[in-house]
Amino acid sequence: MSSLAGTATLLRQSVRDRPAILVSIVAVIAATLCGMALVVGIGVSVPKALAAFADGAWGSPYAVAASINRALALALVGLGFVIAQRANLTNVGGEGQIAVGGIAATAVALYGGASALPVPLSFGVPMLAAVVAGGIWGAIAGVLKAKAGTNEVISTLLLSFVAVWILYGSVQSEALLRQPMTNTATLPESLEIPDPTKLPLLSANADTPLHVGLLIALAIALVTAIALERSVWGLRLRAIGLNPVAARRAGMRIAPAIVLVLFLAGALGGLAGAFMLQGDQGSLKARFSSGYGFDGLVVGLLARGSVPGVLAAAALFGFLRSGGINMELEAGVPSAVVLVIQGLIILMLAGTAFWIDSRKEGTR
Amino acid sequence: MLAETVPRPAETPAPVTAAPLLSLRGMSKRFGSLQALADVSVDIAPGEIHCLLGENGAGKSTLCNLVFGVYRPDAGEMRLAGEAHRPAGPAQALAQGIAMVHQHFSLVPDMTVVENLMLGQSAGVLRRRDYAGRVEALSREYGLALDPYARIQDLSVGERQRVEIVKCLMREPRLMVLDEPTAVLLPAEIEGLLAVCERVAARGCSVVLVTHKLAEIKKVAHRVTVLRGGRVVAQSSAPAEEIGRLVRAMIQRDLEGLGAGASAMLGEVAAGDDAASAAAPQQKHLETPKPAADETLQVDGLTVRDAEGVTRLANLTLIVNRGEIVGVAGVEGNGQSELAAVLSGMTPASEGRFFVRGREMTGASPKALTAAGVGIVPEDRHAVGCITAMSLAENLMLNRLERFRRFGLLDRGALRRAAEETMQRFDVRAAGPDIAFSGLSGGNQQKAVLGREITTEDLVFLLAAQPTRGLDVGAVEAVYGQIRAACERGVGVLLISSELDELLSVADRIVVLYRGRVMGHCAAEPGARERIGAMMAGHEA
Repeated sequence: MSSLAGTATLLRQSVRDRPAILVSIVAVIAATLCGMALVVGIGVSVPKALAAFADGAWGSPYAVAASINRALALALVGLGFVIAQRANLTNVGGEGQIAVGGIAATAVALYGGASALPVPLSFGVPMLAAVVAGGIWGAIAGVLKAKAGTNEVISTLLLSFVAVWILYGSVQSEALLRQPMTNTATLPESLEIPDPTKLPLLSANADTPLHVGLLIALAIALVTAIALERSVWGLRLRAIGLNPVAARRAGMRIAPAIVLVLFLAGALGGLAGAFMLQGDQGSLKARFSSGYGFDGLVVGLLARGSVPGVLAAAALFGFLRSGGINMELEAGVPSAVVLVIQGLIILMLAGTAFWIDSRKEGTR
Repeated sequence: MLAETVPRPAETPAPVTAAPLLSLRGMSKRFGSLQALADVSVDIAPGEIHCLLGENGAGKSTLCNLVFGVYRPDAGEMRLAGEAHRPAGPAQALAQGIAMVHQHFSLVPDMTVVENLMLGQSAGVLRRRDYAGRVEALSREYGLALDPYARIQDLSVGERQRVEIVKCLMREPRLMVLDEPTAVLLPAEIEGLLAVCERVAARGCSVVLVTHKLAEIKKVAHRVTVLRGGRVVAQSSAPAEEIGRLVRAMIQRDLEGLGAGASAMLGEVAAGDDAASAAAPQQKHLETPKPAADETLQVDGLTVRDAEGVTRLANLTLIVNRGEIVGVAGVEGNGQSELAAVLSGMTPASEGRFFVRGREMTGASPKALTAAGVGIVPEDRHAVGCITAMSLAENLMLNRLERFRRFGLLDRGALRRAAEETMQRFDVRAAGPDIAFSGLSGGNQQKAVLGREITTEDLVFLLAAQPTRGLDVGAVEAVYGQIRAACERGVGVLLISSELDELLSVADRIVVLYRGRVMGHCAAEPGARERIGAMMAGHEA
């Protein structure tokens, strides 16, 4: 009994002294346990559900690659979130930034003549278009914030709705991106983008659909980490986020920094859209993003400001999504359960962080 | 002198004739690596005024907060009227008859006095008239003039403090703790507050008064406990006769050796001690009538209106010459903050212009002002002067981070070395340049901000607003020493302070602000004290 209490104390201390990342891990484990309890409640056997989950998430090279591809989009949105967070800005517009990125990439890939370009440009130019479109979408919120003080949480969220509806509209109208209607069964989606505009696979083996996006995302993560932690720019961003008044007094220009940071966050969202289109879906559909923007936001939150944290959380969510889909297909567990687990992770994370902060206060 | 610093048997609490109301034994409290309190034992007798004397960081506030239940002690025992006192929080301390007036008031500005007092009622029907009646009764009893229906935002700092005291007294406390209550008051208001303390004590309620001002101790203290470095270093039952011994215990040296600014801070100039005022003239530049061509700062008809259109600063004109310290006197909130905000480029002027070394800088950005050689020590250190969550080194170089770039990346080594240099030059004491700024004492934080601003490249003008607020004697001396040194190099200094005695001992000339207007100018001589005091209160000189 006393050893139990001792362990609890030890655990408390170690949680308090450890970096924030441990908090996230504890939250994830606790949420998973709750999820398993739900599975039992639904009447599905836990081993069966777990087996289906494992199979879908990492049961085959294909499953692993699919999970990683899902994780890439989440990681990019999460990185954008963390960059904005450094300046104390909260970008919740990932969904819309993905949408405008997808629209721009589709338009350029199908009608911008990108497929005629030599290889790196054929997929690079649509990707660049997505980056610019997403960036502009984010920068709009930045300008509103800098000029009029509009809360960026509200503006990025509302811009998201606008973007998602633009996407719906553009795949509904033949004058825009909808594929030519040859019969009544033609789906409201764009044509398949030409092969040269798709992201090249890393291995010749089509069983593992890992694409160059993995390398691009890792390079971006590295650059982001260096920029945030090791550059004067990152330090200034932190100063602006922590105390904009003191930062301004020290000669930093706040408004351009806000616009730039939200541009970058949006640009990364746009790039995520390009990855989803060019690396995975191949055509623009009405439900193109289906929640990646919001999951990416959660990834950013889970990471608690750290770039490695983003990668870890994105991987977690990528595998969770793949496994969840398979759990539904093979074990009959509603995918809602996976969503519940995701929700629980957020709650547990917030709760644990709050608990730790209050412990820190208490020991003062 | 050294003997004073070693705890001796005599330093255990002096015997109290009556049973003590509050008895503290062996209290210890540690924050991280800082031992804030170590084995502190104090007795508070019923109906006595017990002063806690000590420099910033000596542990006075920590001790009060332990008694009031804000923190829990690591070790030690507290007994209140003979019973164990272990408050789980302020609410419990309040229920047991302990009331505390904090340095920062907790009043809602939009509400009236009565409404604020009613906030303290936890349940039941709120009857405004009953409260107003009680406020009036208490006001009469203790001489605390207050209009129960006045809005807090319309009250002066002194009046707000009275509201806080009434809030305490309404609970009919057995013990009232006042944490540095006089730091924010006008000279006349201080007298009033001390009189209130005496009345409260005369009615049997013990008063613990935290202070670092000797004049107050001479006036009201029955007993004094001196803290230094978290330990009790002296106690006295006859403080008025033993001031010298208490000061030595507090600051580890004699008052006579202190610079004028620092001893003024202890309130000794006001008490008529001539040691400091005799030292003053030699440190000032009384030989200055400066040629007009030497203008460092020229402010011409500066007017500031706030968002509601209220005029905060009206047609202010002043000149600071090269190598001169011009003091701006006035009760806080009479336009000083607005003047500082405009001169630091944080707020646009509504009208008027200002020039630095003849170059118009009206409306220039903070960055442009820094480039023009303007250093700013802001009044609100935490809001404007530093970023407490960042490291000391980062704060010291906050306005020149671009210098520490190597291969496009931040050169932490160079940043650290530059910071260490400034730390040494300005005597910023910290475990190292990488520790969090929030971990520094107030004095060291201020020395750091001052250091950063004084080391601004090609500094020609320094604005220092309330640079010594909350600092201990050593830090005050250091701050004024650095300001004077800058002055001798030809920097013009505008020194904004609500501590008149400090201004008199440090500045060359004084400008008095009242309701955003210049009430008058005069040379900073001890004889001008009365006149300036009158101007600060709005009387024409």
